[in-house]
Amino acid sequence: MIEPIALQSTLETVRFWAIVLCLGLGVFFTLVSTVGVLRLPDIYARAHTASQTDTLGAGFALAGVALAFGWQHAAVYTVLLLFFVFITNPTAAHAIARSAAESDVEPVLAEEGEADDAEVAAETEGETR
Amino acid sequence: MAAERVLVPLSDTVTVRQTVAYAVQSGLETADSLECHLVIALPYDVDLPEGKRMSDGAEELLERAENWVEEDADGADVTIETAVLGTDEYLFGPRDYAEIFRAYADDHGIDRLVLDPEYSPGVTASMLQPLERELDRVGMSYDEAPVERAARHGRLVLSHTGFDRLFATFWISFGFYLVLGDPFYWFDLLTGAAVAGIVSVSLAHVTFSMPLDRVQSPLRAVRFVFYIPYLLWEIVKANIAVSAVILRPSMPIEPTLTRVNARVRSGLPLLALANSITLTPGTLTVRANDQQLLVHTLIPSAREDLFDGGLEKAIRFVFYGRESAAIPSPNERDDAEIVGGDEL
Repeated sequence: MIEPIALQSTLETVRFWAIVLCLGLGVFFTLVSTVGVLRLPDIYARAHTASQTDTLGAGFALAGVALAFGWQHAAVYTVLLLFFVFITNPTAAHAIARSAAESDVEPVLAEEGEADDAEVAAETEGETR
Repeated sequence: MAAERVLVPLSDTVTVRQTVAYAVQSGLETADSLECHLVIALPYDVDLPEGKRMSDGAEELLERAENWVEEDADGADVTIETAVLGTDEYLFGPRDYAEIFRAYADDHGIDRLVLDPEYSPGVTASMLQPLERELDRVGMSYDEAPVERAARHGRLVLSHTGFDRLFATFWISFGFYLVLGDPFYWFDLLTGAAVAGIVSVSLAHVTFSMPLDRVQSPLRAVRFVFYIPYLLWEIVKANIAVSAVILRPSMPIEPTLTRVNARVRSGLPLLALANSITLTPGTLTVRANDQQLLVHTLIPSAREDLFDGGLEKAIRFVFYGRESAAIPSPNERDDAEIVGGDEL
């Protein structure tokens, strides 16, 4: 009875690399999101990319966790966790954008001339706030 | 003295009779003759199968109200005009109602609007407060009829809808408890039933914002399950597009502020739509005034997706069924536009 063991060990390897892939993608999207928060001009644009962390960043990380847990009850919790993240993340992003709009933060828009100028203007503005 | 003209929006409530009486009485106090405009504003879902019943009910209510006015006028000089509004447009939120009343008032030289405190057109919950706010906004003077009403809670007999609510709340909370606990352990089953019982008795009447339907509500839940993979796929696509833009050294972003008039009902459907829009990177709901969503978009492709209304169609599919999903995109029906920053 050698074959079943071999099959099981290949499955284990596949699972291992699937976990690694999920965590890697999660880290990648979180990194992109961080880069985005640093590079983008104003609070509205940054809110877009901040939600990337929560959607795909947390999504892939939690998928990796669920895979690592395997077929047990704790894996259900990670799905639930993701569900709640998906409800709270847009709510928070909307709250931030809305309060920015209410405190009269002007968005940097594409029509406002050169993108570079707008970026610089927004950066200095962001610092004074 | 010129005739006083009052506008009375009617809906099938327990206080509509008293509202009409108040309108006639207060109108005759200030002027010798009264022109009483009784109107019924039909909600947007009048196109749906149950809409026919609703518009028949409207005619019937208008006839009844006409008799009431004649009864209350008691020989005084009262002219009655009736109208059904909203047959050729979609009325969604309080803003639409306020605007259609305003337009009617302008056309007919109305002096005053008498509002039923329980006014609730269609199946939606009472919308007195938002309607008052919107009426203020469009600059329409109104009067809330002082009515006596029976307390709405504390009824001992469990009604048909009350049972449905209890039933649904019980099973939702019981199911959630078992997801957290162990569904095969007798202790969890027992405590779960106890907790779900307490939750359903104490919270059932605030859990659902719209009446439950024994066929439609479970169907909505099933359709929502189909919506989740679609949403996830949209999120992945949008994430990759936004990541590519951010990582490119030139960073070709094109931030715009857009306004989209969504054709979904206020409350849960609108919340689901606005949340889904925000959840996909590249589009961010900044403001939601009733059905007017102010959306900030980061890249052109995300904006085009938004204007094509894929998510809106999906939300309509979840809440209203497959036929309702096939509506023109916001772009085609002229409900989407790029606006300047001063719109905030």
